[in-house]
Amino acid sequence: MANPLLERQINFLDYTLSSLWRKRYKNLAVVVVFAVVIFLLASFQLVSNGLLERAQTALVMAPEILIQKMTAGRQESIPIAYAERLHDIFGIRQVVPRVWGYYFDEVTLANYTVIGRDQVGGGTDDQLAQVLSEGRLPTAANETVLGQAVFRTKGLQEQRIFSLFRPDLSLKTLTVTGLFKKESNLLTDDLIVLSLADARDLFGLPDGLASDLMVTVANPREISTVAKKISEALPGTRVLTRPQIEKTYHMIFGWRSGFASVCLLAALAAFFIFAWDKASGLAPDEKREIAILKILGWQTADVLVVRFWEGAVISLAAYLLGCTAAYIHVVFFGSTLFLPVLAGWSVIRPDLHLLPAIHLADLLLLFCLTVMPYLTATVVPAWRCASLPSDTALQGG
Amino acid sequence: MLIECKNLIKTYVADGRRMTAVDEVSFVVQQGEFIFIHGHSGSGKTTLLSLIGGLTSPDTGQVLIDGQDNWQQSDNALSDMRNRTIGFIFQFASLIPALTVLENILLPMSFGGLAAGARERAEQLLVQVGLKEKMHSYPGQLSGGQQRRVAIARAFINQPAIILADEPTGDLDEETEQEIFELFKTVNREQKATFLIVTHNNHLATTIPGSRVFTMRLGLLSESQGG
Repeated sequence: MANPLLERQINFLDYTLSSLWRKRYKNLAVVVVFAVVIFLLASFQLVSNGLLERAQTALVMAPEILIQKMTAGRQESIPIAYAERLHDIFGIRQVVPRVWGYYFDEVTLANYTVIGRDQVGGGTDDQLAQVLSEGRLPTAANETVLGQAVFRTKGLQEQRIFSLFRPDLSLKTLTVTGLFKKESNLLTDDLIVLSLADARDLFGLPDGLASDLMVTVANPREISTVAKKISEALPGTRVLTRPQIEKTYHMIFGWRSGFASVCLLAALAAFFIFAWDKASGLAPDEKREIAILKILGWQTADVLVVRFWEGAVISLAAYLLGCTAAYIHVVFFGSTLFLPVLAGWSVIRPDLHLLPAIHLADLLLLFCLTVMPYLTATVVPAWRCASLPSDTALQGG
Repeated sequence: MLIECKNLIKTYVADGRRMTAVDEVSFVVQQGEFIFIHGHSGSGKTTLLSLIGGLTSPDTGQVLIDGQDNWQQSDNALSDMRNRTIGFIFQFASLIPALTVLENILLPMSFGGLAAGARERAEQLLVQVGLKEKMHSYPGQLSGGQQRRVAIARAFINQPAIILADEPTGDLDEETEQEIFELFKTVNREQKATFLIVTHNNHLATTIPGSRVFTMRLGLLSESQGG
């Protein structure tokens, strides 16, 4: 070969691969353990990012301002007539009463979220219409739009009519006019949307009452100002803004995310202990090998290059394996390991098919947290050993 | 190549006690000489070879090879000197298990880029140590004696000026030992290589006329009658 420098590097690589192959079972075990840690961390990161982005999309449906009546610190039904007291507030575009609550279906043993609202045209209706995969919002009595899980749980296929029990156990029959998209499943999977009157009918609420009032403002920048005016106009109510709802959602998600992070940190800590154990000393045969190489004329840098390549081959293989497995886990297996923890549904779990949000910064962070410590743990003890006098190799027998 | 050892002292701490392995050793070896060093176990023979080979530094004193003090050189320069100038034969199996016999022999050469004819030379050395048919075997597939012969072939691959051998024929039968010493004599004759051989076998020195014999006892070196 013409280029000695190139031949030298090829010889290093050849030596590295031979060395890895010699301890193939041990190295394979390291790669597997390492890849599992990376898989867990990467899956968690992908699911977290995917859920946050999905939630961000779904929260577009949230009302800009929500008014709830509070009595003795608890929420109760609000009179629709309260809306008339808001007419004088400049900046309010629309006030829409809403009934919402939970319905436990004894037939399927599932808990649904029911929202009753009338179509009034404009903002919120448009936003709801955007997350429909088919059909239309209810326009007439006894019509409904369902989330994917409700549709599935009720066993509806071609048949688009089903019944729910009123509190007096009489049946209320509903016709499905539309379905929500899978992309909004995080918030709509267990959802039944009805007209206001139908929701009242289902829950047995008196006329003139709603669960809350949804307010749309003319200028989204004025949300907090308008909310403050509403609070002053309607004492005894709780006024929630969309930024507050988003913040609450993020806090809840953040808590779940933090809990899962703590669990994963345990795995990471175990990996660090493993790396530290590796860094704290070489096996006698490894020490002897390095000493022999030094005696035969290898420089310390040569030893480090080989050890670096050994560490790089193992850690990069584990990194690629772990990240690829995480992608497959999230995309093709619905994040089965983390979704129950992070999405937090109680009865019906959202059937989420996340398209992972891959951020270069996250991949780099993961690289720095896993590959770098392993490389350090590989190279540092070799450097310490190669820097010592080589005569230890002559002493053993 | 001239080897000069001047007032070498090397001590170790073992079990909390300081032991003097090499005690005020001074001697000169001319190029092409055969030096035998005898002595009981623990007398300091191996430590003396380590000092001469630049594997460990003396507490005091100097090792000069062609006038160049080993321990005045950088670590890299010392490695380079070992690679080009010295062939080591250890008293234990010193082959790299991941490499074949041929690759082990070429190991001292391969990291500067293999010189033309290196492989042929390695094969020729394998013929000389009687292991040509084993060149693609791994060390784990060889007996202890065969591994020792491979290590001897490796020590000669770079045609070094100095051979440091620690019990080179310790676990070889008499016939093979004789063949190996014939090889030593050939290399000595053809390359003017200097041999420093640590051995328990007092008889070996008599087989090489003109050789010098030293005895080590409690770290002290004294020259005795040669072969």
